[in-house]
Amino acid sequence: MENNELNITWCYPDILNLHGDRGNIMALKRVAELLELKVNINKIENYQDEIDFENTDILFFNAGELKVVEPIVEALKSKKEELDNYIKKGKIIMAIGSTGAVFAQEVMRTDGSIVKGLGYLDMRCIEREYVYGDDLIYRLKDDENMEINGSQIQIIDTLLNDGIELGTLIYGKGNNGEVDKSEGAKYKNLIFTNCLGPVLVKNPWYAEKLIRQAMENKGIKIEKQIDKDEYEIERKSMECIKRFIDKKTSEEKKG
Amino acid sequence: MNIKRIKFLIALYIGKILVFLTRLISKERGTNIPGAYANKIQKDFINGFRGINYDKVIFITGTNGKSTTNNIIVHTLRTAGKTVATNLEGANLIGGIATALIKNSTLTGNMKTECMCFEIDERSFARIYEYLPAKNICITNLQKDQVQRNGEPDYIYQKLKKVINPSMTLYLNNEEPRAKSFEDMGCKVFYYGVEKNETSFEKNDFFDVSLPCPKCNDKIKFNYYNIDNVGNFTCTGCNFKSEEKPNFEIKNINFKTNEFECDGKKYKVPYSQPFFMYNYALCIAICQKFQIPADQIQKAFSTFKNISGRLETIHYGSKEIKYIRIKQENPETLQSAFDYIARDSNPKIFMLGLEQLVDFKPYYTNTFYSFDCNVNKLIESNIERYICFSEAVAYDSANRLIYAGVDKNKISILPTDSDEEILKELDKYDCNNVYLVTWLHKYEELIKDVAKIKKAGGKDGK
Repeated sequence: MENNELNITWCYPDILNLHGDRGNIMALKRVAELLELKVNINKIENYQDEIDFENTDILFFNAGELKVVEPIVEALKSKKEELDNYIKKGKIIMAIGSTGAVFAQEVMRTDGSIVKGLGYLDMRCIEREYVYGDDLIYRLKDDENMEINGSQIQIIDTLLNDGIELGTLIYGKGNNGEVDKSEGAKYKNLIFTNCLGPVLVKNPWYAEKLIRQAMENKGIKIEKQIDKDEYEIERKSMECIKRFIDKKTSEEKKG
Repeated sequence: MNIKRIKFLIALYIGKILVFLTRLISKERGTNIPGAYANKIQKDFINGFRGINYDKVIFITGTNGKSTTNNIIVHTLRTAGKTVATNLEGANLIGGIATALIKNSTLTGNMKTECMCFEIDERSFARIYEYLPAKNICITNLQKDQVQRNGEPDYIYQKLKKVINPSMTLYLNNEEPRAKSFEDMGCKVFYYGVEKNETSFEKNDFFDVSLPCPKCNDKIKFNYYNIDNVGNFTCTGCNFKSEEKPNFEIKNINFKTNEFECDGKKYKVPYSQPFFMYNYALCIAICQKFQIPADQIQKAFSTFKNISGRLETIHYGSKEIKYIRIKQENPETLQSAFDYIARDSNPKIFMLGLEQLVDFKPYYTNTFYSFDCNVNKLIESNIERYICFSEAVAYDSANRLIYAGVDKNKISILPTDSDEEILKELDKYDCNNVYLVTWLHKYEELIKDVAKIKKAGGKDGK
């Protein structure tokens, strides 16, 4: 492996196949190439397949159906020691949408059954009776200048037990709406967000942040700066979305 | 006569009056309102109809293909001399079903038709079945659709699973994993499908994905596809797979002469798009149940006209704008639209208006389903100019194309819903071959505005 290589492990792409989230992997590739990195993407297709944690810089889990949380938890349990080490080292894992539940303490299903998660994120997920879909904008807790926008299709509500939120809501439901205005969760560099879009397509600045962190984790500081014009479409998109949200919010207030 | 019967008859009469009145105003409006009103008067109104042979009641449900399949089956049954109550106009909620019963019953609530054939909204299936327990259930496919209401395909899958029971006969798509997996519910099952043919394809792009197995949750591998996400499949984790010999399989398709074989008989058909083949297969399966001979099926196919088509044309000056309708938040219909356009290799302008979603509150700006679609064939089909419009999501729509490799400079991005501005942009380009993909309501706005321009004497109006 060369120093300028970014190694992405794309977990269960066919099983976690919702909401066009494969676009997140495309976005990581695009931004990494803008940073003049060579990108290697390794797919983990089946539950029994081995994950090469040592040669992974970003481990990615896209959004999937809630029913697959349990088999994924079981699959990762068999790799727990390596996964523990990976997380302890501060290496990056990203889980989108309901897949965040894999790393939670537990998920309570509508039928009352409980699915135990891996427990890395100190949070509980509760399956909703009805789906909720809306726009979502939040500000990162560890980088207050960075706003993330997208949408969410909420099948689970998430209650955080500790101050581990990834961000603070600007608009939308986030983890649980008005309860604590939190969005997502973060422990070391294990990140969960409800944000769809795909989130890294709509927010390439966040993809860049993750990539820089991933490279720093292996002692490589990227000097290359990306020309601001490269993200012009995404910035203009966010302006349009904000105008749309302002308009709908004021119409809702008028009743 | 008991009170319940009296209440039913009151609801029926009011329903019949509303059918008459709504027909005076608009034919389209009369498809749901009378039944919805009757259901309000009596919750189990549908239960009150008499003379129903449930063995001759057919429900067609699934994400895509319900309307067209319903149209073909009803046309074929009627051509064969059967009387059929139906909801051809697409009113597939409980109000639409009740309206169809009101229209096809006597003043005492006795059904006048021998059979019933309804397309049923997947979400409403359980509620409708409670009052009208059909014995013949057709499941076309269960795919991603309207995520703001449905979330994920498994949400609808579980709802249907609660209702499917051994008293039913199931007609299942052999090449769509979720539909086929209902085979385990203890019902009598008929499989229908389409043989590998010259339009079948494989997906070998690095970013292509399939789906989790509905039985064991491991990866489903498609050996080939006949249409997007439908084709011969095998699960990589269990022994679930397409039947090698489905009961009704369309074979030896000749796309030039529009002919195929099924169950040893030859047919010639008016429409030969690959997705239609599944509709014909299901129709032939249902016809066997009703003992309709092949020559009568052929007679019906020869005269079939697809009233639920999704293609319209707007003439705007020298430009011919071909509009392809897509369903909201439904990647399969968006992919079909892309594939349709890709088959035209002539120079063209492509207009994409994915639009903000305003059917349900909260309104929102989802375009992520466009990343479920493959755009490669589309962008290789000689598109001279792309125009992406929409007040909120024009940039996101454009970005999907850029991710597929389209040069930014070839895309006009219009963050507006103003038809005046959209048409002004279109006027800048000489190419007359134009394709438009957007929601139905946007298309309807556009045809009104084009008509106004023509009325005022512009763009070749008189």
